[in-house]
Amino acid sequence: MPYPITPPLIRGTFLVTLCFFGTLWGRITMAQVDVVSERRSVDFSEQIQPLLRRHCQRCHGEKHDEGGLRLNQRDDVIGEADSGSPVVVPGHAGKSLLISRVIDADAGELMPLDGEPLSQQEVDLLRRWIDEGATWPETKSKGKHWAYEVIKRPEVPAHVTTGTVIDYFIDQRLETHGLVANPRMQPASVARRASLALIGLPPTPSDVEQFVTNSNSASGQAYLSLVDRLLASPRYGERWAVPWLDLARYADSNGFQADQIRDNWAYRDWVIRAFNQDMPFDEFVTDQLAGDLRPNATSDQRIATGFHRMTTCNVEAGVHPEANRVNQVVDRVNTTATVFLGTTLECAQCHDHKYDPFSQKDYYRFFAYFNNTPLEVKQTAGVTWDFYGPKMDLPLDHNQKQKIDDRNAELKRLSVKREQLARESESQFEDWLTRLSDQGSPLWEPVTLVDFQTSGNENVSLQPDGSVLLTGKVPPTVDHTFVLQPPAKPITAIRVELLTDDAIPGSGPGRGEAARPNVILSEVTCEVMSGEEKNKVAFSAAVADYSQANWDVARAIDGDRKTGWAIGGQFGKPHWAVFLLAEPLLLDPESQSLKVSLGQYFGSGRVAGKPRVSASTQSADLLRLPEVLRRMFKGKKLSAQQRKKLRTEFEKIDKRLVELDKSVAQLEKELKKLVPETTLVMQEMESPRETFVMLRGDYESPGDAVEAMTPGALPGGSTDASTGDRMELARWLTSAENPLLARVTVNRWWAEIFGLGLVPTLEDFGTQSDAPSHPELLDWLASELIESGWSMKHIHQLMVTSDAFQRSAELSKVMVVNDPVNRYLARGPRFRLPAEMIRDNALAISGLLSEKMYGPPIMPYQPDKIWRSVGRNQPKWVAAKDENRFRRGAYVVWKRAAPYPSFINFDAPDRGTCTVSRGRSNTPLQALTLLNDPAYVEMALALADRVISESPSTDDRERVRYAVKLAVSRDAKEHEVGILVGLLSGERAELKNQPQMVKARTTITVPTLKLRSSDMQELAAWFAVANAILNLDETMNQ
Amino acid sequence: MNVLPTSLGRRALFQRAGFGLGGVALTQLLRQSGADSPVASNGQQAGSVGHQPHFSAKIKNVIYLHMVGAPSHLDLFDLKPELQKRSGEDCPKELFEAGKFAFVRDLPTLLGTPDNAKHRFTRSGDSGLPISNLLPNLQGVADELTLIKSLHTNEFNHGPAQMFMLSGFGQFGRPSVGSWVNYGLGSENENLPGFVVLITGNVLGAGSPAWGSGFLPSVYQGVEFRSQGDPVLFLSNPKGIEPSSRKRIIDTVNAMNQAQLADVGDPEIATRISQYELAYRMQTSVPELMDISSESKAVHESYGTQPGKNSFANNCLLARRLVERGVRFVQLFDQGWDSHNSVFSNVANKAKQVDQPVAALIRDLRQRGLLDSTLVVWSSEFGRTPFAQGTKKVDKAGRDHHKDAFTVWVAGGGTKGGMSFGETDDLGYTIAENPVHVHDFNATLLHLMGINHERLTFRYQGRQYRLTDVEGNVVQQILS
Repeated sequence: MPYPITPPLIRGTFLVTLCFFGTLWGRITMAQVDVVSERRSVDFSEQIQPLLRRHCQRCHGEKHDEGGLRLNQRDDVIGEADSGSPVVVPGHAGKSLLISRVIDADAGELMPLDGEPLSQQEVDLLRRWIDEGATWPETKSKGKHWAYEVIKRPEVPAHVTTGTVIDYFIDQRLETHGLVANPRMQPASVARRASLALIGLPPTPSDVEQFVTNSNSASGQAYLSLVDRLLASPRYGERWAVPWLDLARYADSNGFQADQIRDNWAYRDWVIRAFNQDMPFDEFVTDQLAGDLRPNATSDQRIATGFHRMTTCNVEAGVHPEANRVNQVVDRVNTTATVFLGTTLECAQCHDHKYDPFSQKDYYRFFAYFNNTPLEVKQTAGVTWDFYGPKMDLPLDHNQKQKIDDRNAELKRLSVKREQLARESESQFEDWLTRLSDQGSPLWEPVTLVDFQTSGNENVSLQPDGSVLLTGKVPPTVDHTFVLQPPAKPITAIRVELLTDDAIPGSGPGRGEAARPNVILSEVTCEVMSGEEKNKVAFSAAVADYSQANWDVARAIDGDRKTGWAIGGQFGKPHWAVFLLAEPLLLDPESQSLKVSLGQYFGSGRVAGKPRVSASTQSADLLRLPEVLRRMFKGKKLSAQQRKKLRTEFEKIDKRLVELDKSVAQLEKELKKLVPETTLVMQEMESPRETFVMLRGDYESPGDAVEAMTPGALPGGSTDASTGDRMELARWLTSAENPLLARVTVNRWWAEIFGLGLVPTLEDFGTQSDAPSHPELLDWLASELIESGWSMKHIHQLMVTSDAFQRSAELSKVMVVNDPVNRYLARGPRFRLPAEMIRDNALAISGLLSEKMYGPPIMPYQPDKIWRSVGRNQPKWVAAKDENRFRRGAYVVWKRAAPYPSFINFDAPDRGTCTVSRGRSNTPLQALTLLNDPAYVEMALALADRVISESPSTDDRERVRYAVKLAVSRDAKEHEVGILVGLLSGERAELKNQPQMVKARTTITVPTLKLRSSDMQELAAWFAVANAILNLDETMNQ
Repeated sequence: MNVLPTSLGRRALFQRAGFGLGGVALTQLLRQSGADSPVASNGQQAGSVGHQPHFSAKIKNVIYLHMVGAPSHLDLFDLKPELQKRSGEDCPKELFEAGKFAFVRDLPTLLGTPDNAKHRFTRSGDSGLPISNLLPNLQGVADELTLIKSLHTNEFNHGPAQMFMLSGFGQFGRPSVGSWVNYGLGSENENLPGFVVLITGNVLGAGSPAWGSGFLPSVYQGVEFRSQGDPVLFLSNPKGIEPSSRKRIIDTVNAMNQAQLADVGDPEIATRISQYELAYRMQTSVPELMDISSESKAVHESYGTQPGKNSFANNCLLARRLVERGVRFVQLFDQGWDSHNSVFSNVANKAKQVDQPVAALIRDLRQRGLLDSTLVVWSSEFGRTPFAQGTKKVDKAGRDHHKDAFTVWVAGGGTKGGMSFGETDDLGYTIAENPVHVHDFNATLLHLMGINHERLTFRYQGRQYRLTDVEGNVVQQILS
């Protein structure tokens, strides 16, 4: 039965949203909003044109004129539709077809046909524009798309210096939008905002204090020097690497089935270094696209080309290598266009671009630049494919070289020493040979079985050969005890034999089941019985003819009843084990006896059917020798070869040589690990591939052949044939003619620092994009970037030293209505930190942050069973217990099929594709992460410890102030201190007489985390305060 | 049956604060609200279906059972007597050469379903739908099932095919079907996410992107409820923090945030406060939801569930409990169907694991009056070849991946039931009649939820993206 459905609840309903917050938020209510919502007249270019472009012009625009209507031309809009009805009647929204077709399904199919309907606000805007006379300035109807125009540096009045240009342009617009700028924040908060924006970490309390003091005495100089310090910090590159790595879809794994780890991290380190060195941005781009094609390319220039080796790669058994390669090239083309051109070139993959001036041919001309690299999967066996493709060895650093030299020197020294020791032991070797050759007595002495006891209640039958045959009931576990009369000579070893017999199921040696007649000797023990007195005999070693994997014979004498010697895999034949005594044992056959117990505790009847025990008086060295070598002594004279073999055996028991050989093996093992690390790079094939247009985007349907060329519709794009390599592409992208690189780049930085781009569609500067809020400012910044020699730090410096950046973030009633998203920056930017910085910030506040830079990715704490993909070679998560546990988020391993879960909860992408901007959601999963994730619990404990031991005062209120300062830099207000002290008192009461709870809260999980405070009761109470502070909205906001 | 309110009432407002709208940063909403800001922008619009649903919905929930690795549909749902007859003969060359296969490179031999009691098909229910004897319980609910025997897809390797089936695109980057639905309709339960994922065995090859939100805001992605450890990551308090302390800490955080809100006025802070309240409520509501021990003995017997176990049966029962609580889209992944060898014994083993709980789920939903408003989907990333892989020996032979024709089925609201749609040729090799592409299938699924698949769009990179790309036709013939 059909039933009514809720209207989808997810539409941007501004007033409703406010109404909701009105219930919680005393300062702004609906009524107040109504009072202040005084309307200004509608602006065509800012409000109407983008709306038409977004909703209408994909079918009624420059390229398409469905129904003969183009809504990009004034004459069409003000004129009549095909039906004869006027599209827009200026002054009369009610009579305009433009309105009825978007609101009234009875007037024909509701427009737009292929997308979501217009929101009420948008319809209202259109109505008001028409009612106000439908102004359509002539100039707005013509001209090239703004983003493709050459950058013109806007004129500014003489009094406006480089340092104040941003504010000049920002302030110009405030009045137009009915806004008044907020005052500057208090210095401590300014310092924190700048620090988080530039290095992604909070300032230390002493930094803040120093800055506040200087701010009070000096002019703006204190802030400028603070910003300079931040820009020079090595932490700067780590912070700015994160958004770049999103663009580069940097990850440490292949993606898809099994999602194996691969080594790319040198590229990540290269990005961090490049940003720290303020590498000119045009060079930064060129190296990544074509560093390998530079003359005499350096290692760094080649590492940089890893940018385009970050593509996903499917190594599933059924992969078709060419399909995989084409997908990778497509990704390279699309990513290049998005990152460096802000262009949605991918729309032209299957057909000509619907809105922007790119043909399908343009797409494959661009494709041709990337089409000359080899396949990246290789068939390594049958249906097994492996990740493949060009790699390079990373240069060894000084430290590694030193380590290799040290080890080689040590090896040389040991080799000399070994020769010396070998010479010295020659005479001992001769003695040894003589001793072993003296075989007057047999290897195994017959011993008389005096008594046999069993705990298993079997039928026991003593055999003439000294063995015991057990039949009847099969006990699940059993102890068999042999009491023996010893020989008169010193005993050196005990032998246990597990014999076979037809009376045993499957003829044995075990009795459990015919198919698997295993015996598991859990513990073998030996005692000397002298009358009433019992003395345990110690074993020194055990050897056996055969041991099952993981059931080595040594485990039968390890004192652990859960382990033992087993013979699985070799049934139906006898086996023996020899247990060497630690000291030769001389007994009196008359008064003493030897008791040998075979404990068999595995269960399920894995017990012996016919055991026999005997003793030896021969040298332990001889018993230890393999049978073949032992036999050599029976010959008359040893051959040179036999001597050599025995010499090897002898050296195995010479303690000094054994130790030395161990050291050699260890050094060799270490040297093996000291080979260069590798990273993925781009490399051209010797003979280039031919490129064809792919009909409908299908690589198996080639169309016309094409040559590499940049898009002709863009300024400076190729107009004729070219060299066709990636260097040519890079040169064009970074050339003075291409206006997009600089515009797109400064816009992304602006969004990182101010929360929203001057062009909000960071990824699209095409005709479907949003118009810039401050076009002159965008062009000025773009031109400043180029003129500064493409200095990223220079532009960042200008942004964070602007007044706009330093303003208070307080949101006034007027702002809620006139600029809810803060496009015009009457208030300072305030927004939640990105995922990695949430963690970095908390690590820094708690004092745990490790500043160790670079190197292979790290694995901090994460819950079990996050990595559990299908497929072979799946990597394992091993949480670091050293400082790697506390390093910055930029270094955390990124596995595409299962990225670090707390990052995902804070909107980090999977990095399967290029991500231009992350969302900023606000969810209960985030609350749970910061409250309960053991990683954050550790940080809370460390913060509590830090506050107790570092706060200058032991007073509760002072300690709370210190904690707040660590987290948000500013001084806590009195009532805030009151709230937190209230929590502390509540927790103290809760923890009274609760030692278990105290212990649970203060137990440390990793050795690296060392607590300084001694009063655990207090620490446990402060833990709750620290947990709260790390969860404050202000703590996670920039 | 629940009748939902038709206006934005109090519940709706709460929802904004929960997993629904409130989860999206207010600035993101405002950016597309049109008030005085540019209309929408980069990946930031929230919602799109409009103030009215596109048309009246037949269902409000989906339970999507994805059989990871791809079951042998030929041996479960699409019996081919001609294939049985010609089993062991060479595969027709022209058919083999026209296709793309993951493993088999040389001309293989045809492989028919064994003609024995175990593997035979029985005409089941009033409708007489033929279903394999490997699925005796499912035979019992045959009249609820609508088989689509003519599904086809574009990809023939697991990872890409899973992405294609579940996001309409064979690479990473696009939103999953569940996140599209969540984005379009939101959750009905203020305390639970609108899209929940339950997994038995290892995670499928495509990984978490299979239930990711692609370019949609991340609040719409599936949330995995785990059967071991915390049911939702980080749900339980640290050791030594009792609920009383947890409440005191959250109250403190919220009091501090209230103070900050009074100073700064940023509405995101109000959202943050409500999220902390919700997190606290989840700490009781989620364990309660995941604890199936409160279910009756009869229920446990019918599903074959055991409290505390990680099993497909438990997940089926959890799916019902989630739907009862208003979770919009529940997705189950069951690992282990890939049968490159011993296909007949493997499919029998796997069928035995899922047959009882799936049938019990359908019966249970029917009994509780939930089946009319719920769609149960049985899917996989592709099907299996009618020819043998590896060996001719029937007991050892496998079947390769087959993208050109396979069977999925649906049961529940808005569908006819007791019918099959589409036919494959006599060998089960190609589609003979009524082909249904993955995009058609997804269009139909959205249609049942009251969504026009051409209008559930999201603007990203200057383009209106949708689940069905630029294709997809609703399969009207299966709708009731």
